[in-house]
Amino acid sequence: MTVTRIGEAVRRKEDHRFITGKGQYTDDIFRPRQTHAYFLRSPHAHARIRRLDTAEAAAMPGVVGILTGKDLAEDKIGDLICGWMIHDIHGQPMKMGSHPALAKEKVRYVGDHVAVVIAERLDQARDAAEAIEVDYEVLPAVADLATATDATAALVHDEIAGNLAFEWHLGHKAMTDHAFERAHHVTRLDIVNNRLVPNPMEPRAAIGEYDSGNDSFTLWTTSQNPHVARLVLSAFVGIAPEHKLRVIAPDVGGGFGSKIFIYAEETVCAWASKRVGRPVKWTSDRSEAFLSDAHGRDHITTAELALDERGKITALRVKTRANMGAYLSTFASSIPTYLYATLLSGQYDIPAIHAAVEAVYTTTAPVDAYRGAGRPEATFVVERLAEAAAREIGMDPADFRKKNFIRKFPHQTPVIMTYDIGNYRASLDKAMEIADVKGFNRRRRQSAREGKLRGLGYSCYIEACGIAPSQAVGSLGAGVGLWESAEVRVNPTGNVEVLTGSHSHGQGHETTFAQLVSDRLGIPIEQVTVVHGDTDKVQFGMGTYGSRSGAVGMSAIVKALDKVEAKAKKIASHLLEAAEADIEFKDGKFSVAGTDRSIDFASVALNAYVAHKFPTSEIEPGLKEGAFYDPVNFTFPAGTHICELEIDPATGRTTICNWTAVDDFGVVINPMIVEGQVHGGIAQGVGQALLEGAAYDRDGQLVTGSFMDYAMPRADDLPSFKMGFTETKCPSNPLGIKGCGEAGAIAAPAAVMNAITDALGTEAVPMPATPQTVWKIARTRAAPRAAE
Amino acid sequence: MPIVTMTVNGRPVSADVDPRTLLVQFLRENLMLTGTHVGCDTSQCGACTVHLDGHAVKACTVLALQAEGGAVVTIEGLGAPGLLHPMQEAFREHHGLQCGFCTPGMIMAAIDIVNRHGNELAEHTVREELEGNICRCTGYHNIVRAITEGARAMAAPVLNRAAE
Amino acid sequence: MALELTGSYELPVPREAVWEALNDPEMLKRCIPGCEELEKTSDNGFRASAVAKIGPVKARFKGSVELTDLDPPAGYRIAGQGDGGIAGFAKGGAVVKLEPSEAGTTLHYSVDAQIGGKLAQLGQRLVAGTAKKLADQFFEAFAKAVTEKAAA
Repeated sequence: MTVTRIGEAVRRKEDHRFITGKGQYTDDIFRPRQTHAYFLRSPHAHARIRRLDTAEAAAMPGVVGILTGKDLAEDKIGDLICGWMIHDIHGQPMKMGSHPALAKEKVRYVGDHVAVVIAERLDQARDAAEAIEVDYEVLPAVADLATATDATAALVHDEIAGNLAFEWHLGHKAMTDHAFERAHHVTRLDIVNNRLVPNPMEPRAAIGEYDSGNDSFTLWTTSQNPHVARLVLSAFVGIAPEHKLRVIAPDVGGGFGSKIFIYAEETVCAWASKRVGRPVKWTSDRSEAFLSDAHGRDHITTAELALDERGKITALRVKTRANMGAYLSTFASSIPTYLYATLLSGQYDIPAIHAAVEAVYTTTAPVDAYRGAGRPEATFVVERLAEAAAREIGMDPADFRKKNFIRKFPHQTPVIMTYDIGNYRASLDKAMEIADVKGFNRRRRQSAREGKLRGLGYSCYIEACGIAPSQAVGSLGAGVGLWESAEVRVNPTGNVEVLTGSHSHGQGHETTFAQLVSDRLGIPIEQVTVVHGDTDKVQFGMGTYGSRSGAVGMSAIVKALDKVEAKAKKIASHLLEAAEADIEFKDGKFSVAGTDRSIDFASVALNAYVAHKFPTSEIEPGLKEGAFYDPVNFTFPAGTHICELEIDPATGRTTICNWTAVDDFGVVINPMIVEGQVHGGIAQGVGQALLEGAAYDRDGQLVTGSFMDYAMPRADDLPSFKMGFTETKCPSNPLGIKGCGEAGAIAAPAAVMNAITDALGTEAVPMPATPQTVWKIARTRAAPRAAE
Repeated sequence: MPIVTMTVNGRPVSADVDPRTLLVQFLRENLMLTGTHVGCDTSQCGACTVHLDGHAVKACTVLALQAEGGAVVTIEGLGAPGLLHPMQEAFREHHGLQCGFCTPGMIMAAIDIVNRHGNELAEHTVREELEGNICRCTGYHNIVRAITEGARAMAAPVLNRAAE
Repeated sequence: MALELTGSYELPVPREAVWEALNDPEMLKRCIPGCEELEKTSDNGFRASAVAKIGPVKARFKGSVELTDLDPPAGYRIAGQGDGGIAGFAKGGAVVKLEPSEAGTTLHYSVDAQIGGKLAQLGQRLVAGTAKKLADQFFEAFAKAVTEKAAA
């Protein structure tokens, strides 16, 4: 039995249950006497409910209950909330439209919840839903983001004028405008950041169960942050007091942000279980997921970059319209604001930045965080501009970036962030070497001889992870703190349980966190178990999103381990009959400095519990410590991705030939897991660039509502990736970690689109650059760059 | 309701089912074999892939009654007690999974690829053959590696005894 | 989502006979694919129900049909809406014009319809094809029926 060190590519502890089919996802849980819920959803994008008649349906076989918005109101169940308050340019709070879990007077998007049918079997619930009569007064849809604020547009929420949730800005407008007036060259791009459907492979699910004996609820749900779900469902929605509501997020099959939010369905399952007196289970089918999971991205942006005569960036000006959908989802308001505009400086030294953002309601599904959440949109703006500007002034895009990189740290940007550390040049240089940029022209000529267009694109991304000090996010409007908790329980036999408020849904925490404990306590990784995802086991936590589990979650574990070590040293000093100051802890052994006297960790643990050999008046028995860790700053992972691709102008098909990713994540705990995170992120980013796009028609019908019409990246859409790391140790947390979960998705779209625009010789290529789009452009280009 | 009879993971099973019961429902809800997952409702994602009479099928597209008299193998039926199937082992060794939800279907599809294409698989063969299985986590990089390596391992005679 | 469909059919019977058939609920009911009910509720209004299958979505649509812009025997506009429950909805109309021709009558139609809900979500790629097929089925049956009736 050996110790696993930080930095080792140890294989994952959690894998055994997944590869043997023993994972336990929410839908794998069957509760005694459980019933099944089926949600009747609006087929209209926008309608007033004139009449809702459930009488016939209620009499159908197997039906246990049918509940509507009226019942919700009767039980005083509150609306779903948005937990990040944005104050607009006039200092007014954002306008939040009422968001009931079941519709009251109106439905506001196709898929909005009209009623829930609860029956013995799912097919019975579905059959009964057929018999519910709804008389809709159909209202005009507001499906087009560009025209949603026009005076002629219908109002999504009757009380919110112009469908505008808020207008917001960041940066210095006068300084920015001044720099543009004096600019030697201005590069301008109109950018649409296409709307995406997150599509984790496990659809959302929930089981609510009410225990009348104890007047308490249990909710199993597909959540990335069960404690936040409990807090919201208790404090705001009013399902039950916190201590009477247990939320369990068991194995969760991917989230990518979409399982952060508190949705109508889990709210209804919990509430309804008391109403019907039996457990209520709901599992989304994929069609429902397309309609009702919060979507991502969906920005329309005009962006301008001002340059001086030497190619130095002097200012950046951005105007963005962000689609919020029909309701403000749990964290929706923070995405196009503090998670977006604060990253607009990219890796560059930009003296003046101004971003103006309009957040707009439409009759579409709510839009909220999706892998990267605001930061991919920012990177896309900055990196497309950088590439286009370099081309316009005739400078090599890599040289342009090198010229403008931030070199001195800490660096204060004009948009709040203080970058603590980085070496952007190092990642770019390493990526260029791995990608063999030198040989690109030769490969391009070879492609041209074969009638193909080859392009190369860079993306020098930066992100801000872990989220920030709680005081700081509080001042920006966050409704919660963004610290993390941990508890390290050492058992009498010396093995360890780590309780964490982070939640793993593919990230491999059970391995990485255990690896940290193994390294630190000198015990084999097999003797460490990580416990998460249950509010009855873990006291509180903020969950997993924003690439925060390493930087914040593991830092909390480090803090708890510090305390465990300190106490164990005290105990060891009694066992070894030495002064506490002389006790050293290394490789799982406590020893007296300068002697050969030592005792191993397990013996100290046992002694901590038997408590025979130390005065319990001075030292409490037991060995269990908890900690809360609040980050002192964001962390700033950064790096360079290079995409090289080839377009067949005859078919418009784009083939990615080479992908190089060089990332600086600070200290890497498990390179195998970290690389895997990057791979997945790249795939989602390539998906956005080449394949994926959620489309509503003018009536607000989702016409990309299944895997038949919404193109998910498949194995043959992607190459194998070439990976590299550079390292600047993060000074803001004890482990030097920066976070890796979102990097790929943040970097990739710009890299692909920079390569495609390079190959086609025009900047005007919309995402997703599907074969049809590319084919049309390739046809009209008289002299693409590849033929030069 | 009609009675359906088949062999699942080597054991004979029989049950009364509603004729519209899908094979995947039968496996999950009647037999409680929840390793086979449902990731979509249009036969696109492959999370429900199992073997029926030695061939990979999407269990969401087969009625339980269509499997009458057949032999079904699910993820739970791979390997032997204490011994993983080489393809399971390869997914673990090469980090071919993250959230684990698509994994059972991937592994069942992978074994079927090896059965049809042999133990030496080119990367492009694996990528093309995985057309019917969607993974949202891994970007496929490590799945492709796991399958090519797992295919080779399946050729090893000793380990192969653990196979289905 | 919106759907537009136009076409024309040659019917070997005089225009008046076609007009009469187009106003005969029994005749229409027999010819409309999947039609289960077509009851006159007013001079120009009907209550209707029909079963339709579009791709993976099969549903019974219940709704109403109304005839407007009546211009006997040159044509009318038929408009309707149907609620398919959890499958979604369909609504729209068709302008039908009858012109005398050498063979008898040329029937021109121009359909403008919208569908929503699951139908649009899952069936949209198949809607145009299905609509054309349903129109063909209807007119084939209708041509046969009016011809038989004229011969009788």
